[in-house]
Amino acid sequence: MKKENSNLEGTNLKFFGIPKLFPYIRPYLLKIVIMVSLGVLSSLLDSFIPIFNRYAIDNFIAKGTLKGLPIFTILYVGVLIVLVVDNYICTYICGQVEMGMDRDLRNAAFNHLQELSFAYFNQNNVGYIHARVMSDTGKIGLMVSWRMMDIVWNGSFILCVLLMMLIQNVRLALIVMAIVPIAVIIATYFQKKLIAINRKVREINSTITGNFNEGITGAKAIKTLVVEDKIQTDFEKDTKKMFRTSVHATHYSAFFTASITMLSSIALALVLYKGGVMTMEGVMGIGTLSVFLSYALALMEPVQNVIVTLSELITVQVNVERFFKLIEEQSDVFDRPEVIEKYGDTFNPKKENWEELIGDIEFEDVSFHYPDGDEYVLEDFNLKVPQGTNVAIVGETGAGKSTLVNLVCRFFKPTKGYVLIDGKDAAARSQLWLHSNIGYVLQTPHLFSGSVRDNLKYGKPDATDEEIWKALDLVAASDVVRKMDKGLDADVGEDGDMLSTGEKQLLSFARAILADPKILILDEATSSIDVVTEKKIQDAIGIVTKGRTSFVIAHRLSTIVDADIILVVQDGKIIERGKHSELMKQKGYYYELFTRQFEERSFNLI
Amino acid sequence: MNNKFKTKSQMVLYFLKGSVIFFVISMMYSVLVTFFELVSPKFVQYTVDYCIVDAADSSVPGYIDYVINMLGGRDYLRDNLYLMAVVVGVCAVATALFRYLFKLFNSIAAEKFIRRMRDTLFEHIIRLPFAWHSENHTGDIIQRCTSDVDTIKNFISEQMINLFRISVRIAVAMYFMLGISKFLTFFSAIFIPIIVLYSCFFHRRISTGFEKADSEEGRLSATAQENLTGVRVVRAFGREAYEKERFETQNYHYTNLWIDLIRTLSAFWASNDLISGLQVMLVTIIGAVLCVNNSITVGEYIAFVSLNAMLTWPVRALGRIISEMSKAGVSIDRLRYIMNSEEEKDIADAVEPPMNRDIVFENVSYKYGNGTEDVLRDVSFRIKAGTTFGVLGGTGSGKSTLMYLMDKLYDLPEGAGRIMVGDTDIRDIKRSYLRQNIGLVLQEPFLFSGTLSENIAITQSDVNLKEVRDAAKIADLDEAIRNFNKGYETYVGERGVTLSGGQKQRTAIAQMLMGKPPVMIFDDSLSAVDTRTDARIRKALSETTLGSTVILISHRITTLMHADTILVLDKGRVAEIGSHDELVANNGIYKRIYDIQKQGI
Repeated sequence: MKKENSNLEGTNLKFFGIPKLFPYIRPYLLKIVIMVSLGVLSSLLDSFIPIFNRYAIDNFIAKGTLKGLPIFTILYVGVLIVLVVDNYICTYICGQVEMGMDRDLRNAAFNHLQELSFAYFNQNNVGYIHARVMSDTGKIGLMVSWRMMDIVWNGSFILCVLLMMLIQNVRLALIVMAIVPIAVIIATYFQKKLIAINRKVREINSTITGNFNEGITGAKAIKTLVVEDKIQTDFEKDTKKMFRTSVHATHYSAFFTASITMLSSIALALVLYKGGVMTMEGVMGIGTLSVFLSYALALMEPVQNVIVTLSELITVQVNVERFFKLIEEQSDVFDRPEVIEKYGDTFNPKKENWEELIGDIEFEDVSFHYPDGDEYVLEDFNLKVPQGTNVAIVGETGAGKSTLVNLVCRFFKPTKGYVLIDGKDAAARSQLWLHSNIGYVLQTPHLFSGSVRDNLKYGKPDATDEEIWKALDLVAASDVVRKMDKGLDADVGEDGDMLSTGEKQLLSFARAILADPKILILDEATSSIDVVTEKKIQDAIGIVTKGRTSFVIAHRLSTIVDADIILVVQDGKIIERGKHSELMKQKGYYYELFTRQFEERSFNLI
Repeated sequence: MNNKFKTKSQMVLYFLKGSVIFFVISMMYSVLVTFFELVSPKFVQYTVDYCIVDAADSSVPGYIDYVINMLGGRDYLRDNLYLMAVVVGVCAVATALFRYLFKLFNSIAAEKFIRRMRDTLFEHIIRLPFAWHSENHTGDIIQRCTSDVDTIKNFISEQMINLFRISVRIAVAMYFMLGISKFLTFFSAIFIPIIVLYSCFFHRRISTGFEKADSEEGRLSATAQENLTGVRVVRAFGREAYEKERFETQNYHYTNLWIDLIRTLSAFWASNDLISGLQVMLVTIIGAVLCVNNSITVGEYIAFVSLNAMLTWPVRALGRIISEMSKAGVSIDRLRYIMNSEEEKDIADAVEPPMNRDIVFENVSYKYGNGTEDVLRDVSFRIKAGTTFGVLGGTGSGKSTLMYLMDKLYDLPEGAGRIMVGDTDIRDIKRSYLRQNIGLVLQEPFLFSGTLSENIAITQSDVNLKEVRDAAKIADLDEAIRNFNKGYETYVGERGVTLSGGQKQRTAIAQMLMGKPPVMIFDDSLSAVDTRTDARIRKALSETTLGSTVILISHRITTLMHADTILVLDKGRVAEIGSHDELVANNGIYKRIYDIQKQGI
């Protein structure tokens, strides 16, 4: 949060970042040119309408004749229609530019994210990244379209008025123009204050929303702990703060608008006095005086609008900067040009050049530390995992069991050394080639909104229903689907909300199996399924890991006694490795972990 | 559902308590603003007509005549024209001052109003029964408490006030216009209902378009969100290209919806421009004709044209306001749904009996509000005071429901059996007292935003760091906490550090221990902790919970097997009850599950 704020002051983008945005603006350049010209035309026509009124006074009323009224009417209607059509086209094009740019920027951000490595996702939380894709892009689009039009409309109006005034009477024009800088100073001052205070209001507002969220999602905890009154007191502190800050903000904004209105009226009073004297002296005509009176009143509001819009442009710079920070983020895991040449990139794979993955994996002198840390978690690590080997990784919560898996999947690249897949450096083939051969089941299972079928087919888009049911049967998940009212067509809800965690795990298991991966990764997949189901899954694991290279990260040691190699992790480092029986004989850390499960009995339990 | 607020206005009036006076004051100021706004051009006009140009063909209104005479008469003013400029300036200052006051009081009123709404809603929501919370979607309720609340605030503080201001403005302008020419006023006024009805109709029609675009945006946003939270799945299955296509398709769809919407809006704005333009034109031409026919004077003509111009924008805004007001009605009803839901209540003479007594379930049956099947069927058992009692059951066996009933998170209906603490039916026990004395550690604990020490000591009136640390030590959390940079002052919760599932569970245990309750329930509360830590915690706990009644709920036999008595629940019925050895000898479900679990080892 603090970092974002400091960015606001210290942006070093030139011209509001527009030059940098140019590649995204280019497709809409023609539209923008048309839009701006139509906008200028619209301002000109707008300032032309009062002329009709003066013409009516001078030619009909003053002369007491209605001669020429039909032509006058036709002209009037003609100008009106041109103005209306102009406005229609102008706003429509403006909307097209806004939405088009929004769309292009969003696509660019989203697609870039698909190629960024896990280091980026580890260092930035989902909410932050999501805001880059959804909200920054929208603000930029708004700036290039409507904000720009605001400046065009108001700016050209101000110029028109100043020009007209100068043409008609230089002295009086200069008097009115003397007020403009004052308006600029006042507007700039208040706008700066308002931006800061409004940010504070938004912050408190999101705290209050957070409070509501807490009061609702935490209802069970609040009740069982009997802390209703305490929570309520805390909540009222925030709403009180909100009240004060909002009213404080109104002080500024009300003072701001009031002072601009007052300036307009002062301009009016000055024109009335100076212009009135000039008229009485016969230096100036009465018609000119009345025109000046209306100009004086009409001038200050556009000035205010331009200032407000400009200050909004300044705040959008932050969005532009954040957007480019994402777009320019380099992935630290990427395919080399010659690899892309042969295997294709993420979005255009050349599957015809893909060789079949067998499943031999070898770690060769691998050293590794995470990009956001500098402590090595692996040093000169060597391990051969021939095709079909079942590797188990055990250790306490937070010991760093996922590291090896992250390297096998090329989610991270080794700091030193190589991970060899079928005897070749993993980096010698494309990421997509590797990933297409991996099945992955997560500790916190992730389903996409959509039907059960869509989710299961995620790893194998052309799977038939028969294959799906087969996979479901294999992991004892067919009952879960059968009991849903629409079977495979049933909706799983956002993030699988309609299912229990255990059911989600079973389904994500089936999804992985269905893809028939050469390498299977199970990430603590069996930790929260009830015992009977867990047993079923264990049997299924036995079946599906047979003949496949697999990595199982497990809490329950019972899951992995049959593994070909067990790696024991402590504080991020692998301290023991071997088969279950070997490790038990060693009587080391693994033995200790394992025997705890028996020792539990002897504990004088709660 | 009670009917505390029978009508919409009843509830709005309730929320308006305390702020209505400020609204009234702000409305008074708004009338003053309108008055000065309309009077100031009058002074300009008469200055031009009577001082600068010598046109004496119309009468001067009384108040202007009064001001002119007060300042020394027309001839004096002609020589000292600055005096009229001062009058206009004074009007300007008055307008600015009253506008400032109007906005300020309006904001005070609006903020007081919204604050009362939020406070009342929050207070009400946290006191609604848990059943209500599980029946209603969190997102929906939050939406009601945020955007619906904003809608209602805008309805009162902007739409209602603007409606009032515009009505005053139109009425005053019409009054002056009628004074000039009834005939001309007719042509001007006839456009008002047309514009209002047209924009009303249009805004109503376009609102479905907005809703569609909104929900499409929600869908697009959810797709991005899912892609980000599921990044591992996307990558591991190599489905980036599919994700790209999915997002781009939705993005195009969303964009096109908006472009269509903007086209409709542009057409509306343009046609509205046309109607207003035609009105101005009609007034200009007919006015000119009337003037030529000597029905009105030149001064009257000019005054009429400028009065007419002042109506254009307010009239347009009127249509939008009226059409948007219908939205507020929906929002009010959505809040009324919350406010009319019944809070948890104790019976009139609720008691506070000692809690270190036997707990007895007698023929308890229960079914959830929206369910068809009984979750618990005729369940009876006794938990002896001071013993450890285990409840074993699979997913959906009803084991958690047992505890929710005991803590009165759900109320056991009359005739569905009873739960006794000593000789007292828990229906007669004061809710807060009961819950304070039953320490319930949930399987998925909830952390409040705040520091770790605040969380652990949340039930205490003040934070005693030593006690907090002692509790954390028992829960095997002290070391982990001290490894955090800020230790016990580490900020957790929604916007703080994310704790692992195991750390959360241990925090909840420490939190419960702070209250030293005579009855402790652990609802699968160590499921996310690895076995070694699990064992360590249980050892430490067994030393501190001596004398308390402890209830353990789990599907893991190793967790329960040392309990004094174990209840086996199967599909809501008591399948078996007894000590571990008895149950193993019994050769029933317990033995079967025990074998499966043991076989794993």
